[in-house]
Amino acid sequence: MAALPRQSADEAREALREAMVRLAAGDSDALEDIYRATRVKLFGITLRILGDRKEAEDALQDVYVNLWQRADRYDPARASPIAWLAAFARNRAIDRLRTGKVRGGAVPVEEAAPLPDESPLADALLVDAEQTAQIHKCLSALDARTQSHIRAAFFEGYTYAQLAESADVPLGTMKSWIRRGLQRLRTCLEASEAA
Amino acid sequence: MSGPEDTVPEDGVTRDDPMIAAEWALGLLEGEELLAARGKYATDPAFAWRKEWWDDWFVPLSDAIPGAEPGDHVWDGIAARVAAQQATADAPEAPAPNLVALEARVRRWQWTAGIASAAAALALVWSFALAPSRVTDAPAPAQLAASAPMVATVPIGETGLRLDVTYIPESERMVVTAIGLTADGVHDHELWLVPADGTPLQSLGLVVPGEVRSIALPAAVTAKLGEGASLVLTREPLGGKPEGKDAGPVVAKGAFSRV
Repeated sequence: MAALPRQSADEAREALREAMVRLAAGDSDALEDIYRATRVKLFGITLRILGDRKEAEDALQDVYVNLWQRADRYDPARASPIAWLAAFARNRAIDRLRTGKVRGGAVPVEEAAPLPDESPLADALLVDAEQTAQIHKCLSALDARTQSHIRAAFFEGYTYAQLAESADVPLGTMKSWIRRGLQRLRTCLEASEAA
Repeated sequence: MSGPEDTVPEDGVTRDDPMIAAEWALGLLEGEELLAARGKYATDPAFAWRKEWWDDWFVPLSDAIPGAEPGDHVWDGIAARVAAQQATADAPEAPAPNLVALEARVRRWQWTAGIASAAAALALVWSFALAPSRVTDAPAPAQLAASAPMVATVPIGETGLRLDVTYIPESERMVVTAIGLTADGVHDHELWLVPADGTPLQSLGLVVPGEVRSIALPAAVTAKLGEGASLVLTREPLGGKPEGKDAGPVVAKGAFSRV
């Protein structure tokens, strides 16, 4: 990321955390620092989900204005700031998709760009190595079919109906597959927390 | 191709709250279920916790999404909106805004202070009725050339609750649905149309707890319901804005766009 040349992930995360704390304390200049450090990652997310540049830019704008309005809701002790922001951006994008203004997921599953499964981008502001490894591990423990549908939901913002259609199975079947997968995912993740 | 839906699964998976939270976090919910989940998030700490638990677990997956550079105008827009809101926040304690001031504020993308407190006063309910109040002139033909429905979302602060307003040109009717908001017994909430052309705000009536209803709109209102029109929700004494008095504080706003 251009804004963070030669910074280690730890330094980047610390700088971001510090900017978030400043923002919560009312320093609105901090917002620009946060924007510079995170815009590429967050725009990647909104663009991926919404599949439309204009919509994705609007969503991105909402994310940062909202962040400024509610900076105090970020708890520096709890989550890594980039994880919090990334989840926030994705939720915003999904909300936008579901309010029906955008026809998202314009590309059918099978035509969608392949995603790197286990190798996060080297230059990305990474979320958390340990957590990343764990979710990938638990996902990989699912059968390939369920795994691919859960991934498609996450990365393309597909609904059950869209997933069922693209897999050419009844809606109820798709729901069962995914729910069973989520159940097992939860068990696996909880086990890792207890460990 | 819809099979029997949500009947008890022979797969043994119970669709309990944690499951719904997972489905939501993954982005699978839509329509009614999505609204219900949002409502539950605002009122049920265990559900909210579980949703965030799933969010936290899923988010590392986003490291696989390539980054992308947004246009320069995105930051300009953010900076402008923040500056405008700061201008309001920094202003000395103002008397209740009159409609002219209100309108100017809305166009500057501002929220008045008090969103949080107002939102806190709003509790949960599943639907709204829009009681026809002042806007009761005889209906007349709509002026809109385009017939695509227009929708506006009016988020209630940061509660996740919102009003959804849909205007269907050919029917000259507006449908208001929402989650959130119940009568506090002390205030009513009044919905206002903010025309894009800078003409005065027009009342769309009171929002009161009850069933989802649609209301007929007079021509004076539909004429202003074009691209760029927006909505504000104000907190008023019971019965709505008193004649001759200024409108109450803006507690939420939203813009119309064509579907």
